[in-house]
Amino acid sequence: MPMPRKGCARRGCCSGELRTQPRACGCTGCVWRVLTNALAGLGVLLGGGLAAPRSADCAEGGLDTAAGASSPAATASHSTVRTLLSRRCQACHGGLAKQANLRLDTTAGMLSGGDSGAAVNPGVPAESLLLARVSDPDPARRMPPPGEGEPLSADEVDQIRAWIAAGCPAPPDEQPEADPRDHWAFRPVQRPPLPGPEGGHPIDRFLAAARARAGVGPVAAEAPAEILVRRVYLDLIGMPPKPEDLAAIVTVRADGWYERLVDRLLADPRHAQRWARHWMDVWRYSDWWGLGDQLRNSSPHIWHWRDWIVESLAADVPYDEMVRLMLAADEFHPDDPARLRATGFLARNWFLFNRTPWLDETVEHVGKAFLGLTLNCAKCHDHKYDPVRQTDHYAFRAFFAPYHVRLDAVPGETDTQRDAIPRVFDGEPEAPTFLLVRGDDARPDRDHPIAPGVPALFGVPLPPIEPVPLPPWAHQPERMPWVVEAHLAAAAKRVTAAEAAVAAATDDTRGAAAARLDVERAAAVAIAARAAAMRAAWAAADSPATAESSAAGAAARAAVRAERALAAAQAREAVVVAEQAVAAADDKVADEKGKAAATEKLAAARAAAEKAAAAVAEEGEAYTPLVGARWVPTRFRYSGHDDPPVPFPATSTGRRRALATWITDPRHPLTPRVAVNHLWMRHMGRPLVATVFDFGRKGAAPTSPELLDWLAAELVAGAPGGTPWSLRHIHRLIVTSAAYRMDSSAAGLDAAAEADRDNTLLWRREPVRLEAQVVRDAVLAVAGLLDVSPGGPPVPPDQQAASRRRSLYFTHSEVSRNPFLVVFDDAAVKDCYRREESVVPQQALALSHAALVHEAAAVVAARLSADGVGDPEFVDRAFVTVLCRPAAPAERDACLEALPAWRALPAGDLGGAPPDPARGHLVWALFNHTDFVTVR
Amino acid sequence: MTSPLRPSRRRLFRGALPLATAAGVAAVHPVARAEEGWQPPDGRPHFPARARSVIWLFMNGGVSHLESFDPKPMVTRHAGKSISETPFASVQDPAKLALERAPVPDANGQQRNVLFPLQVGFRPHGQSGIEVSDWFPHVAAQIDRIAVVRSMYTTDSNHGAQTQFHTGRHMLDPVSPTLGGWVHYALGSLNPALPQFISIGTREYWNRRDGHYLGPAHDAVPLRIDPASPLDFGRAERPFPRPAEAVGLDLVATLNGLTARRYPGDAATAARTAAYDLAFRMQASVPEVVDVAAETPETQRLYGLDRPECREFALQLLAARRFVERGVRFVQIQHGGGGAGAWDAHGGLRANHEKLARAVDQPIGALLADLHRRGLLDETIVVFSTEFGRTPGTQGADGRDHHPFGFSVWLAGGGIRGGCVHGATDELGFHAVTDRHYVTDIHATILHLLGLDSRRLELPERKRLAVDHGAAIRAIMA
Repeated sequence: MPMPRKGCARRGCCSGELRTQPRACGCTGCVWRVLTNALAGLGVLLGGGLAAPRSADCAEGGLDTAAGASSPAATASHSTVRTLLSRRCQACHGGLAKQANLRLDTTAGMLSGGDSGAAVNPGVPAESLLLARVSDPDPARRMPPPGEGEPLSADEVDQIRAWIAAGCPAPPDEQPEADPRDHWAFRPVQRPPLPGPEGGHPIDRFLAAARARAGVGPVAAEAPAEILVRRVYLDLIGMPPKPEDLAAIVTVRADGWYERLVDRLLADPRHAQRWARHWMDVWRYSDWWGLGDQLRNSSPHIWHWRDWIVESLAADVPYDEMVRLMLAADEFHPDDPARLRATGFLARNWFLFNRTPWLDETVEHVGKAFLGLTLNCAKCHDHKYDPVRQTDHYAFRAFFAPYHVRLDAVPGETDTQRDAIPRVFDGEPEAPTFLLVRGDDARPDRDHPIAPGVPALFGVPLPPIEPVPLPPWAHQPERMPWVVEAHLAAAAKRVTAAEAAVAAATDDTRGAAAARLDVERAAAVAIAARAAAMRAAWAAADSPATAESSAAGAAARAAVRAERALAAAQAREAVVVAEQAVAAADDKVADEKGKAAATEKLAAARAAAEKAAAAVAEEGEAYTPLVGARWVPTRFRYSGHDDPPVPFPATSTGRRRALATWITDPRHPLTPRVAVNHLWMRHMGRPLVATVFDFGRKGAAPTSPELLDWLAAELVAGAPGGTPWSLRHIHRLIVTSAAYRMDSSAAGLDAAAEADRDNTLLWRREPVRLEAQVVRDAVLAVAGLLDVSPGGPPVPPDQQAASRRRSLYFTHSEVSRNPFLVVFDDAAVKDCYRREESVVPQQALALSHAALVHEAAAVVAARLSADGVGDPEFVDRAFVTVLCRPAAPAERDACLEALPAWRALPAGDLGGAPPDPARGHLVWALFNHTDFVTVR
Repeated sequence: MTSPLRPSRRRLFRGALPLATAAGVAAVHPVARAEEGWQPPDGRPHFPARARSVIWLFMNGGVSHLESFDPKPMVTRHAGKSISETPFASVQDPAKLALERAPVPDANGQQRNVLFPLQVGFRPHGQSGIEVSDWFPHVAAQIDRIAVVRSMYTTDSNHGAQTQFHTGRHMLDPVSPTLGGWVHYALGSLNPALPQFISIGTREYWNRRDGHYLGPAHDAVPLRIDPASPLDFGRAERPFPRPAEAVGLDLVATLNGLTARRYPGDAATAARTAAYDLAFRMQASVPEVVDVAAETPETQRLYGLDRPECREFALQLLAARRFVERGVRFVQIQHGGGGAGAWDAHGGLRANHEKLARAVDQPIGALLADLHRRGLLDETIVVFSTEFGRTPGTQGADGRDHHPFGFSVWLAGGGIRGGCVHGATDELGFHAVTDRHYVTDIHATILHLLGLDSRRLELPERKRLAVDHGAAIRAIMA
């Protein structure tokens, strides 16, 4: 389906200004078609009299002369001028906007003109305002305006002049640009009726109808069972079947075998790990990184979010619920730590030094991941393709303006640096949002604060934004019961250890050990007293009418005393240490200076101990409360120290709750379409909408619009009697279709190949290269070495070589990705809506040289040789084990020739591992087989 | 070392990358572009090229332009005075300083008001008489081959400017590909047995990747000057002698050939077969290139391999020459990388720069001389660059702070007019005032000399601004 193609008039937004003062446009992800591309393609000359600023020292003249060698002469073609105007003028003078009441998307529009009158006078170029304005030498009057696009080239001006001179010829049926709000993806999802004859899988009925319309066929047959089983294993659980499982499945194959296999794999815990990695791509999972040890991006312990993703998929938590929790679990479930992990999605955008890129990324990726909407393109200017104003960008940003990140204590841990849950909270509820003029963070428009809001084009209302009163745990996290428990338990443990040290002490160490035990006991008492004081304070605060305020005061005073007693014990311990130092110095006859220093220290320690002992009796109520959560400090004001602490308010703004509710409204046209497209792409090897993060007017049209809408409707509705928004339902639908089960070979399908060279309508299965993580996991799984145990902190770089954990548990950040995975197009940390599938020599080096592969090959060879089989049987077993299919005769022959060739090598040239290096090498060869890294 | 290629492997190689795009990368499922008719680069220049390779030398931390290539006697004459007390007070006009865009207020990157005298002398060199500081005598000896650009500016006053110099984008902007990434993306291979884009030296986290949205295949291949292990996975990590590997790769090729028959038109399998062939050649050729023992003693002495203070950089530059000689497109060498960068002389500038200049000067001078005498300088662009200059005012007792408003870089070689100075800073070396150039103008210049138009490389879904493309500096071209 041809897309409405509308270009932009304003090339190189803010280019004039940016020449001298580059600022963010944020347009890196912008889908704004550039005039220059088109010009370069046409070989049209740039520059000339209307050249951009700084042409004097610009060498582009030479460059463009070369490019302009094939420059076509200006013609009077209507279509040329229409294309030109649609690219350069129509964003402001067309369907999206109608500035000065002028539309340039039809000849009629030009004739009727705008505020300044008709834009063209047919046959009289000299009296045509359009021509005058685009060729005006005065930048103040010239169109496009300065900063809104570079001037039209001389050739372009000539084309317009020639067309006007020819009398503005236009076809009679010229259509104005369609209403942008009527774009297919912005219209509600309508469940389409199933086409074609009754029966059959709905997906196949849609595809069959589309193929029939396009005359594509016949299609591939079902893949051989072994191929299909390996495919669905790799797809659903991310590793190939074991030979015994494969044999059991393939040999029996009773009615419904495949569907039962699918159900079993979908319920397998490994399925959740496999698909979690997919969603981690889309949702931009990243472990923290920074300069050395300094945290600068993402959050410590963000792996809790990864584990939440895995667990949620394992439980088939509905997609809408997952989205809601990622955006606003702190408002929906403020006292549920398990769900709060989901907000790692937002915590991941944390950036130490500056709020601007933090919120830039938040807006961009909430828009792209959930809505397929490039809101980022409207940061500096109105969107050039979609009906999204610049103010819409900032209204969307306002949902996130209040949020900060904190680390919540977890049971059994007293130190948030060792472990804690990173989660978001609205720490600055009053933080205003200002439009940044041209996206420049130095130019906020402070006169017009912008309230949270959504683009008004989807017909789905934003629910009212209502403040969310938070339960005590949320704003007094020290009240989470495990906080006090963890501290008490840790104190008790230290007392036990100190007691053991006393028991084991010698005459020399007894004094110090006893002093330490005193300290630990005092510390335990102090913890208990502080906990009691905190409880009393909560009781007083919770029911001020009934509680005895004196009880809270007494508890606080007791806590203070206990803390002072602890300080006194610590001071006494210091005295003991100092006494020992003096004794040690006395032993060293020569060191008079050392003796004097030690004696001096001892005197100071004694004085301090006396002071501390005296202080115990002093009255006071200011004890040190235990801490249940720590704000993750930012340094927006100065790089050298933390900003003033952000408190934990008792109320959240409710902004993100409203936004999440809006995004997951079952009527939302984008959310379900974007989600099923991601699922479809990862199952089928290619998406229905090629631009997976852009469903706007600049994005690609769906290859099968009805199928996309049907899947979207299925996602929202769920299976009959099942849960709405169930991802597992869509997984099952897709992988049980005949389209999914087809053979991937094009052999004998020349007619279909002729009609649909790109396999757009899936007349065969699309082969797919394994993702980086699956390559590594599959090597280990084939050797029986893969450790699928779930969860926990990421495996750090220095432990990865020896680790057998699944690859999704490796540290994955901008500065630390596993080298083997990187070679296979590992997910880009900043933005990975779709993995690349390159083929480069480095992949061959990695797969042929990595210790991982050699070790796995040796293990497999040894295992398959354990019963002393001969070479032919070994080859057959190796094929089934590594490639999950039997060897064809020619393949077997090749292997049986290679084995003796290896064995004929001198010992020093063979390498490999015992017992039979040649067999290890054979397995190595199969790991390097193109079929190993391919889902056939 | 000759490669023990067996006949069958040679035969396979003749087929060469059927799907290969520019950089020997076959993207079998390229991310679909909404743009109809969009095609990736075909590996050919857009117009006749003046150079084919680039050696990109980047001094991390910020080289003082005032003590290298931009002498400013006024700084010494007014030393000890506050800038506001000099006739040049207007350099601190807030409107001029607004150019800077700091990610966060920082102890560094501040205005330093009291002028600090030049820490080294300058004298004219060569036919051109261009003044170069006495810390760079070997570079000075080559000055007639060099075009010095004294009017650079950037917008970040902190070390994110390192990335900015490579990508053209400020640290607060979305990441974008580096110049080397673009070149690798655009141009085909001259020697498929070698990686086409090599990175040598330490890179700090903000500057660690190149391809970004062009894809990881366009990241530079990190290289160590260690013939035993120059590349990641360059040699088997378990005992696997080459004869055994050759048998294995023959078997892989045979088996893949059978698969190709079963799956006709399977582009990935064909590309993979070619990639294995290249990999096999690469693992032999790269160690051979890195091994500079093959060079004559005279050449080794020329680069300074016999001098401990510059040996490390000399090895890197000699290897770089050997790579470009064999057809590598882009060799990116980071000097003093890691943390803020070695050249970041907030204090003790004299000792810092004198020592670092000793480490790089002779190797760089030798590189230019050596390329020239081998006839390679005509087709190789050598770039000497850094993220920013240093303040005319003093920081602490004897240092200079970060200075984005004016600084110097230089280029030499293919298509560059030697012995010229382009642009100027003001009397204090504060602002670039004549022929000002943002960093992407250097990119545009190099791309132009390589026969490339960055606008024709742009991806449809990744809008680039005019400032990202920059404008080639015609005045320094031969």
